[in-house]
Amino acid sequence: MTVQIYDPTIEAKGRRINYAPRPKSLEGLRVGLVDNSKFNSDQLLTRIAAILEKDYGAKAHIMRRKRSAGVPPHQEIVDEFKSGCDVVVAGIGD
Amino acid sequence: MQLQSRSYDAPDMAQAIELCYARGWTDGLPVIPPTADRIESMLAAAGLAPDKQVAFIENRQVSVTAEKIAINAVLAGCKPEYMPVIVAAVEALGDPLYGYHGPATSTGGSAVFMVVNGPIARELEMNSGDNLFGPGWRPNATIGRAVRLIMRNTIGTLPGELDRSSLGHPGKYTFCIAENEAESPWPPLHVDRGFRREQNAVTIMAALGPHQFSNGLSSTPEGVLTTACAQMRVSAGTARQPFYALVFAGEHMTVMKKAGWTRDQVKDYCFENTKISVAELKRIKLKDGAFAAEDEKTLVPLVHSPQDFLVIAAGGAAGVQSAYIPGWGSRTGSQSVTKEIRRP
Repeated sequence: MTVQIYDPTIEAKGRRINYAPRPKSLEGLRVGLVDNSKFNSDQLLTRIAAILEKDYGAKAHIMRRKRSAGVPPHQEIVDEFKSGCDVVVAGIGD
Repeated sequence: MQLQSRSYDAPDMAQAIELCYARGWTDGLPVIPPTADRIESMLAAAGLAPDKQVAFIENRQVSVTAEKIAINAVLAGCKPEYMPVIVAAVEALGDPLYGYHGPATSTGGSAVFMVVNGPIARELEMNSGDNLFGPGWRPNATIGRAVRLIMRNTIGTLPGELDRSSLGHPGKYTFCIAENEAESPWPPLHVDRGFRREQNAVTIMAALGPHQFSNGLSSTPEGVLTTACAQMRVSAGTARQPFYALVFAGEHMTVMKKAGWTRDQVKDYCFENTKISVAELKRIKLKDGAFAAEDEKTLVPLVHSPQDFLVIAAGGAAGVQSAYIPGWGSRTGSQSVTKEIRRP
């Protein structure tokens, strides 16, 4: 006898997420760096910022620390980056 | 009752089980094929419509509906009357304080430790005694398993993908106990966390595996806790640990009861006696930097406050074993959460 079983996974709803447009160059842009609080993440991001400024012409950077690696940046960080930065670097693993 | 999920046909029950394996819906153990009548019995036992959203997992943008919970509960081998416990646990998973994404994804490898309190635990014949963390009781085994299957199948917490545990631990199959309220030296855990005794509740905590400690020499709380604290003191990571569950089994429960120690006394004692010097942390390589003169005298606590110990009474009546269970990650990343279990 045929057995009909139901799917426990979720079906994708086909929602589209629009990425922010990429700048053609980092020349003169301000960089925001999201420190996710992992060990040494600030040191790694500081080096990345130095490369973006030295080799790609970024003008300045600010780094802000999330409350925990597992949560999104809190609103103050988002607001500060929106008003004071042109591009943001996020995503540091272990 | 109209189910919205996709369905598949298999020629017979044995091949339906194989189809569940083939589609990646199991934890490696066989599952019960989720047929419409079984799913509908689950939903009826919780009094929920299939499209009722029980939790929304913000980081994953996943809505967990009653229907998906019911399907996974069938897969796990649950009886319909277990369903309200699972629903409450999923509500807790979706609580921002629990912070689902961190503990579910982290290389740190935590599981969801669940403690069920209230009359429902006795009605469902949940185990709060012998072989507490081991096999043998259907509600403990399958309620915890259902939560894991929901995490895997519905929220997408797949090993090697969005579950990046380096090691994990066996509690990731199931990690669900009841408290031994009848013999506990203390009010039930859920009462300690703001619920009434006659309410049913489930507490979840992102947790590493249980570490058993043994003390057959002491007849005082201070003696038993001295052993516990000595082992906990060096058990945390570089950032210390955000929470610890302490599970006291039979003979240690009796020691606490005879001495009349309250939960708060246990918490305060453990808080004070698990502090460790900066020098020792540096010696055992849990802190970096050069040794400074004040390091021997500077003490660091294990957890942020005494309330970050969850004190639980459960385990076999015989024996001089109890356990501590380290929490996961950071206090800002995940906190323990208690939700009421509601029945129709």
